[in-house]
Amino acid sequence: MPRQDYSGPADHGNRPQGPSHVSGNHHFKGCAAMTLTLSEAGQNAVAGTFGRALKRAGEALGSMSGQVIEVQTPMVKRCSASEVMAMAGGPEAVILAVYVGITGSLQGHALLIFSPADAHRLARILLAGLLGPGELPIEEATDVLAYDELELSALQEAGNVTISTFLNELGMHLHEPVMPTPPQIVIEMAGAVLDAVLLDLVSEADQVLAAKTTFSEGGRAIDGSLFVLPRPESLQVLLEALGAIGI
Amino acid sequence: MTLTESPSLLVAGIGEMVLSSRSDSRLIAYGLGSCIALAAWDPRAKVGGLAHFMLPNGPANNASPVKFIDTGLDTFLKAMEANGAVLSRSTFKAAGAAAMLTVGGGLAIGKRNAESMETALAERGLKLAATALGGSAGRTVQLEVADGRFLIKSLSSVTEI
Repeated sequence: MPRQDYSGPADHGNRPQGPSHVSGNHHFKGCAAMTLTLSEAGQNAVAGTFGRALKRAGEALGSMSGQVIEVQTPMVKRCSASEVMAMAGGPEAVILAVYVGITGSLQGHALLIFSPADAHRLARILLAGLLGPGELPIEEATDVLAYDELELSALQEAGNVTISTFLNELGMHLHEPVMPTPPQIVIEMAGAVLDAVLLDLVSEADQVLAAKTTFSEGGRAIDGSLFVLPRPESLQVLLEALGAIGI
Repeated sequence: MTLTESPSLLVAGIGEMVLSSRSDSRLIAYGLGSCIALAAWDPRAKVGGLAHFMLPNGPANNASPVKFIDTGLDTFLKAMEANGAVLSRSTFKAAGAAAMLTVGGGLAIGKRNAESMETALAERGLKLAATALGGSAGRTVQLEVADGRFLIKSLSSVTEI
């Protein structure tokens, strides 16, 4: 093949890694390089907790909409930056994302992501639940990337509710609070939204722990996903809280 | 390799580089946010390269050869030379380094990437002929190996630099 492509395939972490970045939070002292030492049992403990928290987050979205919103089996896995992009539909896919930074005793990033068309659909479902079906303005056939104020505020609230529910669920295991930043909506290429977040996580490790679930309503999938990407040193905090250290 | 990739369309994923001396090749990096893409093109040898850098500095990395500017730039430049390019007559253009998010951490990375790229090139006696850096819009970039055209696509526009 005449192709000259120097990009290597994703390497799944055989390379020895340096110590994890320590963010200055006193909780993380001495927790360097934990991404390497996470045992299978430890990973399972984290995955189980994340899975339950994602499920709760989806249920919260259902309560908010007044509809039954089904939550697909959550997926929690270790992956490379390009695998995270692929999970979001590929770097060139246009998405609507609600971004929430995670601060406090756990640190990281959370994103509720939708395809542009399904973001409109979810916004209509949520607004119908809030306002009643007769009170919605007539839907106009407009640019799929144009959202009105009501839609944006409904979607922002969807991000807020799902991510806060997720964090509350994790917070039950922790002694100190986990705090979300105010939500921010971005309509952009998935790669552009995710790279800043990933760059914050991969400076010293090649892989991140990504947790994702998808939703469906009335038997129709909503092309939407909730991503939670914790900072590596925060996993140590969570493992300690789960009593999963050394197992 | 993505589904749309073909021998003439080479995609530089995050932390990866692609090079070609085929006149029908187009080199693409999709969805740049804070990342920075460096395009290099030798007009005489008709060799092009596109590198999708992630961060200013860090150790050399086999899985992602151009993950870091300080260690990955030489890897990229050497690959250009190995393909027949002469750096002193090549043109260099950069795009990306935007700031998408205003809350949370990691927001200054785009700016730091832009500064690191200029510095790293200057240290090697090279400079950028054109840039599309900063701002808050995502970019997909494409280098045409036949004529060195460098296209920048955002959701709202397509420009050439």
